[in-house]
Amino acid sequence: MDQIIEINDLSKIFRIPHERRNTLKENFLNFHRKVKFEDFYALKNINLTVEKGDFIGIIGRNGSGKSTLLKIIANIYSPTIGKVIVNGSISPFLELGVGFNGDLSARENVYLNGIILGLSRKEVDRKYKKIVDYAELADFMDMKLKNFSSGMQVRLAFSVAIQADADIYLCDEVLAVGDASFQKKCYETFREFMKTGKTIIYVTHDLPSVKEFCNKTALLDHGAILSFGPTEEVVKKYLESLDG
Amino acid sequence: MREKLFTKKNLRILKEIAVSDFKVRYQNSILGYVWTLFKPLLLFAVLYVVFSVFMRFPVENYQLYLLLGVIIWNFFAEATVIALRSFETKQSLITKIYFPRIIIVLSSTLTSFMTFVLNMLVFFVFLTLSNIGFHLSFFFFIVYVVELYFIILSVSLIVAALYVKFRDLSHIWEVLLQVGFWLTPIIYPLSMIPADYHRFIYLNPLARIIEYSRVVFIDGYIPAINLNVVLLLVTVLFFALSLLIFRKFEPQIAENI
Repeated sequence: MDQIIEINDLSKIFRIPHERRNTLKENFLNFHRKVKFEDFYALKNINLTVEKGDFIGIIGRNGSGKSTLLKIIANIYSPTIGKVIVNGSISPFLELGVGFNGDLSARENVYLNGIILGLSRKEVDRKYKKIVDYAELADFMDMKLKNFSSGMQVRLAFSVAIQADADIYLCDEVLAVGDASFQKKCYETFREFMKTGKTIIYVTHDLPSVKEFCNKTALLDHGAILSFGPTEEVVKKYLESLDG
Repeated sequence: MREKLFTKKNLRILKEIAVSDFKVRYQNSILGYVWTLFKPLLLFAVLYVVFSVFMRFPVENYQLYLLLGVIIWNFFAEATVIALRSFETKQSLITKIYFPRIIIVLSSTLTSFMTFVLNMLVFFVFLTLSNIGFHLSFFFFIVYVVELYFIILSVSLIVAALYVKFRDLSHIWEVLLQVGFWLTPIIYPLSMIPADYHRFIYLNPLARIIEYSRVVFIDGYIPAINLNVVLLLVTVLFFALSLLIFRKFEPQIAENI
C-alpha cells in the first residue's frame, strides 16, 4: 500500500516560560537572569502511518493534542523532535478553518483561499459556482466577510477546502458550527471522497460519525497515542476511559 | 525540508495576496490612497519652505535634491513599518494554511513599491519642468531602484521576523526611523558635514543610494564604478544576512504570532 503520511517519533514541545518576556526591553533589562521554562509536551512520541485512501479518525479529550497534530501535518507548526513525511498535497480545514481576510468580500476570499490551496485563477473561475452553491451563500458573495456569521464563514471555508484538488483533507471539527442540513451535506461529501480514494484525517468529538466513516481511529491522551487501530475497538476504549 | 520558492503556485499566491493587500489598504477610500501618495509631497513642501526659503541652503536645484531624498526615504520608512506588522495582519491566514511565509513580506513590500513608483512619476514631472536637460545617466537609476528594493526587503524580513518575538519592536523601530531620517542626507547636503564624517554616513546604504541617485539625475553622470561595486556588494551581503535571520525564525512564526 502507498504510505501517504508517515509520522516518526514526533514530539511537539511548547516552552512555557514562568515569566513572559516578549519585548526587547524585558530581555534587555533582565539579560543576566535566565527565564525558567517548563516544557509542555503537546505531542509525545507519535508514530502514525496513513495509507492512501484511509479515513482516519482522531479522538480524545479537549487538550489532548488533536489539533496540534493536524497543524503539524499541515506544516503550520514545525515539529520539535521527529519527522513528518507527507507524499501529496494537503487541503486543510483547521479549527473552524477560516483562513480568510475579513476586509475582503466573500468572492475575493474564495479566490484568495482557492489560490493558496493551489488552484489557478481559471480553476477557481470554473469551480466558483459549485463552491457558492455548496455553501448556499449565493446572495452574500459581495458582502465583506467580517459581516458573515461564524456559521456562514465555516460553510464557505469548507466549500473552498473540498474543492481544492488535494490528495489529503484535514478536517478539524467541521460539523461544530453548521446546522443539520449542512452536516448532511458534509457526510455526503465524505462518502464521495471515500469513493474517489481521497485520504481524510478527521478530528471530532462526534463519535457516531467517526464510527460511520473512519476505517481506523487514533485515540490521543495527553499528547500520546493511546491506541490506534480499527475504529470500533478504539472508540470502545475511549468510552471506557471516559467512564473510568 | 527546503522547497522551491519560485514555483508557479507560489507566484500565483504572491500575486493574489499582493493584489488583495492593495485592495484592503485602499478600498476604504480613494482619498486614502491619494493621501499616501501626497504624504511625501506634503513633507517635501514643508521641508522645502523651511530649508530653502527660511534657511537658504546653498544647493543648486534644491527642490529636486530634496524631493528625491524624501521619496526614497518615504518608501523605506513606509514599507518597513507596514512589513513589520504584516504577520500580525495576516494572522488568520498563516495559522490556517501553509505557504512560504516570505510571500507575506514580499507582497507587503511590493505594495509599498507601487506607491513609490507613483511618487517617482511626480518627481519626473518636476524634473521635466526644471532646467535640467535629458541625460543618458537617468537610466542608471533603475539599478538603484533594484538595490533599494532589496535593501528594503532585507530590512523588512528582519523586522517582520523579530516582531513576532519582540512586540515592542514597533515602537523602537519608529524611533530608529526618526533617527535615521536625520542621519541620512535627505534634507541637508553632504557638503555641510565635515569630510571626516562622510565615511560614517556612507555606512548607511540608503545614504549611498540617495546620493548616487542625485548624481544620476541632477549632475547627469554615473558615479565611479568602485562606488557602485561597493553598493552592490553591501546590498547582496545584507540580503543574504536577512534571509539567514528570516529562515531561523520562520518555523515559529505561526505559533508565536
